[in-house]
Amino acid sequence: MYGRYMTLPESPLGAELRVTGVRLPAADAFRLNEMGIRLGTIAHVTQHAAFGGRVIAVAGSRYALDGRTAALIDVEPVASR
Amino acid sequence: MSCHGNTSTPTLSRSGSVRVLLVGGPNVGKSTLFNALTGKRQRTMNAPGTTVELATGTWRSTGSGPSGATIERAIIDLPGSYSLLARSADEQVTADAVREVAQDPADPTVGSSVVVAVLDATTLARSLYLLAQVAEIGVPVVVALTMLDLAAEATDSPTTGVEPDTLATALATALGVPVIPVDARHRLAGALTGLDGMDELARAVDEVAANPRWVTGIAPPAAPACGCGGTKDVAGDGPVASEAIAHGLVPDLEQELAHAEALFTWVEQVVEQVSISLAQHQDAPAAAPSVRPGHRRTFSDRVDRVLLNPWAGIPVFLAVVWLLFELTTKFAAPLQGAIGQLVNGPLSSAVTWLLGLFGLGDGWLQGLLVDGLLVGVGTVLTFLPVMAIMFAALGVLEDSGYLARAAFVADRAMRSLGLDGRALLPLIVGFGCNLPALAATRILPQARQRLLTGLLIPLTSCSARLTVYVLLASAFFPAHAGTVIFAMYVASVALVLVGGLLLRRTAFRDVHAEPLILVLPPYQRPHLRTLGMSVRLRVGSFVHRAGKIIVATMLVVWVLMAVPVTGQHTVGDVPVADSLYSAVAGGIAPVLAPAGFGNDHAAAALMTGFVAKEVVVGSFAQSYAVADPGVVAGAGSLGEGLRASFDKSSGGHGGAAALAFMVFVLAYTPCVAALAEQRRLFGWRPTASALVVQLVTAWALAVLVFQVGSRI
Repeated sequence: MYGRYMTLPESPLGAELRVTGVRLPAADAFRLNEMGIRLGTIAHVTQHAAFGGRVIAVAGSRYALDGRTAALIDVEPVASR
Repeated sequence: MSCHGNTSTPTLSRSGSVRVLLVGGPNVGKSTLFNALTGKRQRTMNAPGTTVELATGTWRSTGSGPSGATIERAIIDLPGSYSLLARSADEQVTADAVREVAQDPADPTVGSSVVVAVLDATTLARSLYLLAQVAEIGVPVVVALTMLDLAAEATDSPTTGVEPDTLATALATALGVPVIPVDARHRLAGALTGLDGMDELARAVDEVAANPRWVTGIAPPAAPACGCGGTKDVAGDGPVASEAIAHGLVPDLEQELAHAEALFTWVEQVVEQVSISLAQHQDAPAAAPSVRPGHRRTFSDRVDRVLLNPWAGIPVFLAVVWLLFELTTKFAAPLQGAIGQLVNGPLSSAVTWLLGLFGLGDGWLQGLLVDGLLVGVGTVLTFLPVMAIMFAALGVLEDSGYLARAAFVADRAMRSLGLDGRALLPLIVGFGCNLPALAATRILPQARQRLLTGLLIPLTSCSARLTVYVLLASAFFPAHAGTVIFAMYVASVALVLVGGLLLRRTAFRDVHAEPLILVLPPYQRPHLRTLGMSVRLRVGSFVHRAGKIIVATMLVVWVLMAVPVTGQHTVGDVPVADSLYSAVAGGIAPVLAPAGFGNDHAAAALMTGFVAKEVVVGSFAQSYAVADPGVVAGAGSLGEGLRASFDKSSGGHGGAAALAFMVFVLAYTPCVAALAEQRRLFGWRPTASALVVQLVTAWALAVLVFQVGSRI
């Protein structure tokens, strides 16, 4: 269904990324979906935080994700398509 | 009315003909709007059957008709929610309240109901998803559009640079319901120019209440039906239990996901329609919201580079907590002292003088009023500065946008207890004073997390308990007093951790560490007027709900101390040793014998400590003065008295008994004010259960410490 290029914590700061996979438990993935982070969503990593946490920008909003959650979100660089 | 039967929307008995429900996501400016609409005509209450706090009020405005009559509407500020598929008790209250309106849109006790959906212009797509869920339930809707100033200034928002009215018009066309741009944060300036949107919002609500309007493009259910626990599917499928979805138990999650996709498609269509509409607008040729805006660093991004930095973030967070700690202890202390002096001095004298005028001085009535009632009122008043400072500080942190960052930074530390990172803040503040720490649990987003944190806070060793440690450690371990006091703080941290882990494995098995997915609001300057109103509302709630319990407890203590148990004294004129208070202490003392401090002095001090730990030392001094008036002067003399009675009651193991006493003081109820605040926040049942558990735990730990200590 998707190619796993890298996870969010592996992504460089500021890079334009496309969400290609969410490997969270179904209910958590559903809430992420409801909050606007879905397959195909374009995101930018705006901040690397402690313990692998990441802040991403999606359509003007900033989302903070803990390290474990960020590691379960797969992304691909938009430029590589 | 509610299908659940336990979270029905509170009904306001005194209200106008319209009931308004404010619905929106967290941090969209919903509460700011509520404050602007209600002013001082508001109060807080728990949603029926829950510990979820709601603000209710009366929204008053002048009608637009020729009579210009004042119109009143009952208004409820529902908990912020990203979705009506609830994942917490707070979100469930919101979901139930909206569904209740759909089932009974014209409650005869309050009239018509209208949902005001508060949409954040900076995060339009996310806000529209919630609106879609509200709309498909089939309730009359008015949209209030907020954060327009931030949206206009943002560098990468889809609504960057769009004029508020232009955006509102485009949205109203797309949605088919009134869309009113509001600016509640700058209401004072806005009211002067008539641009704050409040009057327009009032007119729109009254109009929709009279002639219900529904969002276009979303199919409401054909007939009102019970939608318990889930939203009605656009395609007409049955409701799905939302709590079950939250726990991943729904077999047809795929179906629910497909339904959500249908709503997202609708959201995208609306955004697209608005984009086209704005692009066609001659005044905003370049202002169309882009579906995929380019990323540019904002002011908040630049601040976050420091505040969320892997190395700087945690020190900054600790500095913020330290500041809170200082504010609620050192800064508040002089204010508390001044209020105490005012009550105990001029106010007491005035009441005494007044009673004397009517020939009621020097009797039990004076004692009841001055030493009972006034002391109780004074206790409540002395807590006001602490509470006000805490509420104001939390308001600043929340309003500025830092609180969400604090949750992110401290997330790792609290994860083992299944708590949100924000829980670390009240737990640390608890080491200063448990009362504002309990009040600070309101920053946690979920009711169960608030309760769990609220049960752990009494285990944090507040500064009032330090006075007891200092007295006993100095009296029994003069060469190692510092080490003993330090050990008490280590024991406090251990108790919080062990208590938290035990609770998570027993009564709080439903509280688990969820993935942290947090929306970070843009940084903004706190709005003083809104902050002031919020502080006033919360302090008022404390006085109203917790204050009564504190005063009542003080009266009970006075009665115990005023009633003689020997025939030589009259009511209100009795030495402590001959009072009912002392008799009760004597009755409790044997229970404390296994812990080595089964003497009347210790039992009386613990009883007094139930009221406030600050007075334990005073109680000891008073108690020994009664037993032997020659030993009250000087700490050394008091120490001698303590050593003598503890040695006697422990069979020569006074040191072990003193340690056990300190552990008991650490673990049992911090004070009656904390108890009253727990009751205000969580209700009687959890508070009473916690009280029993605290007493049993304190006794068991004290016995353990003494039995082990006396054998070493």
